[in-house]
Amino acid sequence: MAGVAFDAGPFWDPDADWVSDEAGSHTLYWTDPRVISGSSPVPLGSNNSGRGVGGSMVHFAGYAPRFHPSDFRTASVDGVGADWPLDYAELRPYYERIEAELPVAGEHWPWGDPHGYPHRPHPVGGNGEVMQRGGLAAGIDVRVGPVAIPNGRFGHRPHCIYRGFCLQGCKVNAKASPLITHLPDALAHGAEVRADSMVTRIGYDERTGLATGVHYVRDGVERFQRAALVAIAGYSIETPRLLLNSTSPRFPDGLLNDHDLVGRYVMVQGAPQTAGRFSEEIRMWKAPPPEVSTEQFYETDPSKPYQRGFSVQTVSPLPITWAEHVAAQGHWGADLRRYMSDYPHWAVLGSLCEFLPLPGNRVTLASMTDRFGMPVADFHYDQCDNDRQLLAAAQEVMERILEGAGATETMTIQRFAHLVGGARMGATERDGVVDRDGRSFAVRNLMISDGSILPTQGSANPALTIMALAARQAERLLHP
Amino acid sequence: MSALPLPEQDGGGRYPGFRTLDQGPHWDAVTRRTVQRRLDPPRRVGFFDDHELATCRALVDRLLAQDGEPRIQVEVMIGQRLAAEETDGWHYDDMPIDAEAWRRSMAGLDDDARLIANADFAEATVAQQRAVLGAVQDLRMSPWHAMPATHIWGLWTRYAATAFYAHPWAWDEIGFSGPAYPRGYKNIGIGKREPFEVADTRADEDPVGA
Ligand SMILES: Cc1cc2nc3c(=O)[nH]c(=O)nc-3n(C[C@H](O)[C@H](O)[C@H](O)COP(=O)(O)OP(=O)(O)OC[C@H]3O[C@@H](n4cnc5c(N)ncnc54)[C@H](O)[C@@H]3O)c2cc1C
Ligand code: SF4
Repeated sequence: MAGVAFDAGPFWDPDADWVSDEAGSHTLYWTDPRVISGSSPVPLGSNNSGRGVGGSMVHFAGYAPRFHPSDFRTASVDGVGADWPLDYAELRPYYERIEAELPVAGEHWPWGDPHGYPHRPHPVGGNGEVMQRGGLAAGIDVRVGPVAIPNGRFGHRPHCIYRGFCLQGCKVNAKASPLITHLPDALAHGAEVRADSMVTRIGYDERTGLATGVHYVRDGVERFQRAALVAIAGYSIETPRLLLNSTSPRFPDGLLNDHDLVGRYVMVQGAPQTAGRFSEEIRMWKAPPPEVSTEQFYETDPSKPYQRGFSVQTVSPLPITWAEHVAAQGHWGADLRRYMSDYPHWAVLGSLCEFLPLPGNRVTLASMTDRFGMPVADFHYDQCDNDRQLLAAAQEVMERILEGAGATETMTIQRFAHLVGGARMGATERDGVVDRDGRSFAVRNLMISDGSILPTQGSANPALTIMALAARQAERLLHP
Repeated sequence: MSALPLPEQDGGGRYPGFRTLDQGPHWDAVTRRTVQRRLDPPRRVGFFDDHELATCRALVDRLLAQDGEPRIQVEVMIGQRLAAEETDGWHYDDMPIDAEAWRRSMAGLDDDARLIANADFAEATVAQQRAVLGAVQDLRMSPWHAMPATHIWGLWTRYAATAFYAHPWAWDEIGFSGPAYPRGYKNIGIGKREPFEVADTRADEDPVGA
């Protein structure tokens, strides 16, 4: 059996294609047009989606936490969200494997299912020290890690040089992404990667009821690749868009969309960032942005009016992103310049709030088309009351940590991070587009293997869970 | 020290002698080329016509308080971006695409300036330009020339700050050390500096107190 992977973006050569520079990293992100709508529209692009071989992990920050066992049954336990068609114990061996393969460095993790990490925690920079100091003062338990950056010897991987450009692609090749962790093995074992190839439609045979392959555009030419099995992994905006664009007499509303689930229940985490001002120099841009985090507020706290929770992590924006933070407070002109000149004195924390899956938060096709003639995605987002309560609670905790560390002033910006959902897993075809093994209910040789299958999102960063699910799918294919 | 003029009360001169470009020899060649290109933007802009370019220049100079020479040619960098259709990959459903929004907003600024200054935006005084912009910011979600004011404000500031804070002269002014590959950092932590980094001489200058 031979496998071919398609990616709309390039096959990166980190040394030649990437720069140690914020604005110069624009090409890493998915910047084809998309429309955002709803009462709480979510900016896309650099904020949450990559383009190119290695996917969004090429420029992800590098946090690699597991989900908690409670994430898999929020509907039964907390009365919100959805239950997963598999439980934590079934995913645990894959978490352990991926943590070893990336590998992940961090302190012993006391939250969720307590566990250790294969590599020791990294030393921390100014921002990490602020979080440790503030956590101690505020009585909040914080830990170094977990990050997908080896700390010690690991094959040919160079060591991190603490230069802080993780979100711009790690030119050093210290930070993990499939481009350097799993693809080299796959290529060595005969897999092919066809880069710069935009898949526009999944082929479907009315007679057999099976997927036949993929239609794609490369060098401006439309082509078709036949396949015995198709696995889609375009992430939460592009996977639904591709399915919705693949219509046929059997699937007039889009492939796999028998029960109007394709494109629905897309989630982002509420990700407010709170900055604190210190008279000392923090110089937060030195060291990787992912350093220290806490999951003390992850689960439902019965004494609170809201369900589920949030995590808090160091984030450390570079100048352009920091200018956005300052400008969002309404500062401009001389005010903005004055604030910016104070950059070395600020530390920034970010929260990830577990926004709930809502059917109306969805991807549909807009009337506008892209350069391939394909309708672009319209991503609609509204918040529910629980979402808003989490945002306020998370901001309060970040302020406590920063003030505990000695901040004389704080300022918060509202933003969002990460995407999951849009083609969720379910126990039956009425609950999900795919089953627990990623196989679609409607077309048995069509799978989905990316973040869009997550039914809920917890307040952990999603990449490790997305990889663990994909590893489990692969295992189930080999040993059904 | 930054080549850019910035009065002391606006945060100028806090890192005396600090010049990111001095570190250029320690950067990898690809990054060095990327940064170098910004020092010398080509004349051709390609998106704005001459009048729009003047309007855009006045707009970004007010947003970034670039009131003297030398200055960073932010309007040229924005024009190049728009010509290359290098957007952020999204736009609000109540906004036109970025290029169209920029063009319409340049015309909108002229309309507003004619009302209060009887002149095109670029020809109005600095104080009048500030007044026009302040009024747009105050509109918040209300429409400004048929676009939600907060969305057009966000578009302007996003493009302006991206161009300005990509420039090494701006890094000098904020103490940021710029690219760091392959050298990396060896002194990380509160109060720690590399040998080439320069301490803030006015550390107690909390911008809020100013
Ligand atoms: C700035 C940033 C920071 C982040 N930080 C973290 C973090 O610290 N920790 C964490 O866990 N997560 C983080 N994330 C999120 C994380 O990167 C993603 O959740 C994860 O990588 C998604 O994996 P995926 O396989 O589902 O999709 P992706 O990795 O996005 O892969 C999708 C791929 O499909 C390609 N593609 C899409 N459509 C098509 C098509 N039609 N034809 C061909 N190819 C197509 C794309 O080019 C892309 O390469 C971050 C994301 C961003 C943007
Ligand atoms: S800080 Fe370390 S992991 Fe992050 S980009 Fe730099 S070298 Fe890579």
